[in-house]
Amino acid sequence: MTKLMSAPRLRGSMIALAAVGLALSSVVLSTAASASVKLPSSGVEKPPAGTVTETGSTLLYPLFNLWVGGYNTTYPSVTVQTAGTGSGTGISDAENGTINIGASDAYLAPSVTSANPDLKNIPLAISSQLVAYNVPGVLSHLKLTGKVLSSIYQGTITTWNASQIASLNPGVTLPNIPIVTLHRSDSSGDTFLFTQFLSKTDPSGWGAKIAYNTTVPWPAAPGALGETGNSGMVTGCKATPGCIAYVGISYLTQALQAGLGYASLQNAKGQYEVPTAASIAAEAASFVAKTPANGTISLIYGSAPGGYPIVNYEYAIVSNKQSSSTTAKGIRSLLEWAINPKLGAATTYLAQVNFQPLPAKVEAQSVKQILSIS
Amino acid sequence: MTTNTSLAGGPATRRRRFSSQGFRIFTYGALVLIIAPAVWILLGVLFRALGHWRWDVLWTPLTAAGGGLRDQILGTLLLMAGVLILAGTVGVLAGIHLSEMAKIKKNGKASGGLLRTASDILSGFPSIVLGYVGYAALVLYFHWGFSYLAAVIILSVMVVPYIAKTTENSLRQVPTGYREGAEALGMSMGDSLRKVVLKTALPGIVTGLLLALAIAGGETAPLIYTANFANKIPHSVTHASFPYLTYVVFSFYDSSQVSYHYLAYDAALILVVMVLLLLVASRIIVARTQRHAEGARTKTRTPRAPKPAPDDHVELLDLPINR
Amino acid sequence: MTSVGGVAGDVPATPPGRTAPREPMFRRVADVFRANEEKGWRWSARVAVLLPLVALVFAVTVLALKAWPAIRVNGWYFLYGKNWTYGDSYGATVSTHGVAHAAGAQFGAWPIIAGTLQSSFIAIVVAVPLSIGAAFALTERMPGWISRPLGYAIEILAGIPSVVIGLWGLLTFGPWLAKNIYPIVASIASALPNVEPFNYFRQPVGSGEGLLTAGLVLGMMIIPIITSTTRELFIQVPTLPKEGGEALGMTHWEVANRITLPWVRSGIIGGTVLGLGRALGETIAVVLVGGASLRLAPNIYQPFGTIAATILSQLDGAQADGTGFAVATLAELALVLAVISVAVNLAARAIISRTGRTGGPVGSGA
Repeated sequence: MTKLMSAPRLRGSMIALAAVGLALSSVVLSTAASASVKLPSSGVEKPPAGTVTETGSTLLYPLFNLWVGGYNTTYPSVTVQTAGTGSGTGISDAENGTINIGASDAYLAPSVTSANPDLKNIPLAISSQLVAYNVPGVLSHLKLTGKVLSSIYQGTITTWNASQIASLNPGVTLPNIPIVTLHRSDSSGDTFLFTQFLSKTDPSGWGAKIAYNTTVPWPAAPGALGETGNSGMVTGCKATPGCIAYVGISYLTQALQAGLGYASLQNAKGQYEVPTAASIAAEAASFVAKTPANGTISLIYGSAPGGYPIVNYEYAIVSNKQSSSTTAKGIRSLLEWAINPKLGAATTYLAQVNFQPLPAKVEAQSVKQILSIS
Repeated sequence: MTTNTSLAGGPATRRRRFSSQGFRIFTYGALVLIIAPAVWILLGVLFRALGHWRWDVLWTPLTAAGGGLRDQILGTLLLMAGVLILAGTVGVLAGIHLSEMAKIKKNGKASGGLLRTASDILSGFPSIVLGYVGYAALVLYFHWGFSYLAAVIILSVMVVPYIAKTTENSLRQVPTGYREGAEALGMSMGDSLRKVVLKTALPGIVTGLLLALAIAGGETAPLIYTANFANKIPHSVTHASFPYLTYVVFSFYDSSQVSYHYLAYDAALILVVMVLLLLVASRIIVARTQRHAEGARTKTRTPRAPKPAPDDHVELLDLPINR
Repeated sequence: MTSVGGVAGDVPATPPGRTAPREPMFRRVADVFRANEEKGWRWSARVAVLLPLVALVFAVTVLALKAWPAIRVNGWYFLYGKNWTYGDSYGATVSTHGVAHAAGAQFGAWPIIAGTLQSSFIAIVVAVPLSIGAAFALTERMPGWISRPLGYAIEILAGIPSVVIGLWGLLTFGPWLAKNIYPIVASIASALPNVEPFNYFRQPVGSGEGLLTAGLVLGMMIIPIITSTTRELFIQVPTLPKEGGEALGMTHWEVANRITLPWVRSGIIGGTVLGLGRALGETIAVVLVGGASLRLAPNIYQPFGTIAATILSQLDGAQADGTGFAVATLAELALVLAVISVAVNLAARAIISRTGRTGGPVGSGA
C-alpha cells in the first residue's frame, strides 16, 4: 500500500477522489438536513439498531405487544420494551423523557400541552370500551343509558332489579342483588373515556359534580372497589357477583371467558348499540372531518346513526424533540410500521384486539405528526 | 378450694393454677399463630409456582408472550451486588466509627448520638418516600432517567443504617482484651482493626450484610420510581430502565396474559428462595466461626448468674425447680 | 535490601561513604500507607457516618421544596379535609397565591391519614400480644429440634419480600378471611348494640380487600421485629430474680407478669414503636391488600387508603396534571408521612434511652 501511495500520480488522484467524495457527501447531507424527513416507498423508515421504550395504557398494551412481535420479524436489530402501566404514566413518562413512546387512551390536557409544547398525541388506531357486568342469570346484552350508569356510580341506584334498569330491559329477569361498582384505582385512560361518557350523557349530574379525568374522586357508592389495570377490572368483576365495570375492548375475550356480559349502550340518536366493528367504525367516521391535525378530539357520544357511543383514538404520546436523531428515527420507524394499513394496522393485528384502523384522512395526519419527530 | 401448705405440687389456688396454665397455652398458641402464616405463605408460593414451573424460566429472557425471567433474576442480583459494594462500604465504615472512634462523653455514653439518631430515623423512613426523593432528585433533576445507578443509590441509603447498626453491635462484642492486647504488641491502629477486631467481628458483620441484601432485594416501591422496569438488562447504568424481580410479582399477577400470571408466581418463588439462601448462608457463617472462636457460647445463650461467694450456702442453680 | 551473608544482626553492606541504599519503591509506598492508614480509616469512617444524616437532611429538603407550592395553596385543609380531587385538569388553569393549578382541585388528606393510623393501630393490637407471648414460649427450655426451626421460621417471615406477602394476602389470605372469619365476626357484631365501635364490624363483609385484612397483614409483617426484640430482652433478664420468684412459689404467669415484663417494659415499648414505624411506612402490601380508596373506610372490611399506598398509586395520575400541582401535593403527603415517621422514631428512642439502654460499653462481650 505504501508503495502505491508513494507514486506521486496515484497519490494525487487519491486526494482528488477524496475531495470529490467530501463535496458530494456534504451536498447530500445538507439537503438531507434542510429537507423534512420523507417516507420511503415501503412506508416505513429503516431503523437503527437500538432500544425503543414504550409504556402506558393497558388498553393499548396487548396490541403493542403484538406489534412488537411483527415489527421484530422485519427489523430484529431493534429492541422494543413495552409495559402496561396506565395512561397517566404513559403521559407523564413521555413528558419527563424517561420513556420514548407513551401510550394513552386520553388526549393531552391543555395544561400539559402548554407546559410541554413539544409533546404530541398521535392517533394510532381506534378502540372502544365496553361496560361489563357479572349478573347471574342474565344472558342477553342489557340495555343501559349514560344517565343510569351515572346514577349507579353515584350510588343512587343500588340493586340490579331497580326500576330504572328494569324499564329499559322489559322481559329480562333481573336478580335482586346489590350492584358493586368497579373503578380503576390507577390513573387510566379508560377512566377518562368512561367519565367523559357519563359527563356528556349526564351533564347536570356527573358532568357538573365530577367531570372527567384520568383519575376522578369516585362517589361513595356502596361496596365500590378499585382495581388496577384492565385485567384487574376483569378479574375483580369475575370474583364479585353483581359487579359492573368499564373495560377496554382489547379485553373482550378475557371478559367473555370470565363469564361477564356487556351492555348495549344508548347513543345520541337513542339507539342501543353493542360495540361491533360496524358500530365503532360508524361512530369514528362521523368525526373524521372534525379531527384536527394534532389529533386532539373526543369521539364519545357522537351523533352517528348506528354508532357505539364510547369510541376513542388510541394515542402515542411522543415528544417532537428527541435526545438524538437515532432515537427519533427508531421511534418514527416503529410508529410508521404500526399505522401502516398493510403492516401494523392490518386486520391480522387489529382484529385480535377488536380495534379498528384509522380512516385514511386521520392516518395521513398521523403520518405527518410522526415525520416531525426529530 | 384445696389448700396446700407444701411448696411441692404447684400453686395453691385453682385460680393461680388456671392462670398459669392459661398463660402457657396462650404463649404456645401465640407461637403457632405466628409461625402458621409464615408456613402458609411459603407453601402457598411454592404450590402456585410449582403448578407451572419450568426450569427454563431461569435462563429464558422475558418476551411479550411470556418467556422467562433471566434478566430479571440477573437484575436483582446485580442490584444486590451494587448495594453490597456501596452500602457495605459506607455502612461498615460508619459502624466502625460509631464503635471504635466515638469519644466517651462525660456521662459515660458514647458520643455520636446525633449521628446514631439520624441513622435510626433513616432506617425507619418509609421506602416510598425515599423512592420519591430518588425520583425527583436523581431521575429528574440530575437527568439520569430511570437507571441502575439511581436504584442502587436509593437502596443503599435504605440499608446503610441497618449495616451500620449490625457492624457496631458486632464490634462492641469484641472483648476489649483483644484491642488492648493488640496495642500492647505495638500494632498500629489500622493493623489492629484489620487483623484483630474486624476479623473477630466478621461473622456478625457478614450476617448484617447478607440480611441487608435480603432487604434490598425484596424492595419494590423505591425501585418502581428509580429503575422503572425493563425486559432486558440494559447496556448503560444511566438513562436505561432496569429489570428486577419484585416488579414482576407486583404487576404481572393479574395480567391479561395467563403466562404472565405464572411468571409472577415463579418470581415470588425465586425471591423466597434467594432470601432463604441468604439466611442459611448467614447462619452457616455464624456457626462455623463460633465453632472456632474462643469462649464459644452454649446453645441456650442464657447468661449465667454470677457465682455466689464461696461462703454462700445455697446454690440456687441446684434446686430442682421446674424450669 | 542488599546484605552480605545471612547472619542475623549483620549490618547491610554499604560501600564506605554512602548512606544506606534506598528501599525498593513498593516498600516505601507501603510504609507511607501504613503511616497514614490510621488517618485513612478515621477520615473515611467519619465521612461514612455522616452520610445517613446528609441523606436524611437531603430527603427532607427535597420534599419540602417540592411540596412548598402545595402547602401554600392547600393550607390546613390538607390535614382535615375529606375531599381529594384533581379538579378539571382538562379545563382552565387557575392560580391561587401565585401557584397555578387546575380549577376545582382540592386535596384533603384526612381519610388517608386516618387510614394510616387505623391500619397501624390494628397491626399493633394484633402483633404485640402475639409477639410477647411467642417470645415467652421461645425462651422457655425447648428442645433444640423445635426451637431452631421456629427461630428460622420467624427470621424467614422477617425476610420475605413485602410484595410476596401482599400478593399472598390478596390472593389467598384475604378471600379466606372474607369467607370464613369475617362472617363470624360480623354476626357477633350484629348481636352487640348498634353503637360506634361495634357497628363498624357489621356487614357487608366485602371480598377480603380492606382495612381489617391490611391491618392483619401489617401485623404479620411487624411481628418478627417485635418478637426478636422481645426475645433478646427476655434473654438478658437476669435469672436470679426469676429463680427467686419460682423458689417463692410464683407460677410461670406470675414470674412473667411481675418480674420479667416490668424489667423489659421500656424495651418492649421501644421495639413496638419500631414496628409501628415500619407499619406506617409499608407501601406495597397495603396497595395490594387494602383496595384503593381515597375515602374513609365505611366499615372495617371495606377498602381504604394509607399515605404510603396513596403516594404509590396516585403518582402517575398526579403527573397527568400539567401544572405540577398534583405532584407537589403528593410531595406534601410524603412530607407528612416523613414527619410522622420521624416523630415516632424519636419517641421510640426517648422511651428506650430513659433506661439508658443504648449500646453497652465496648468490649463488654455481652
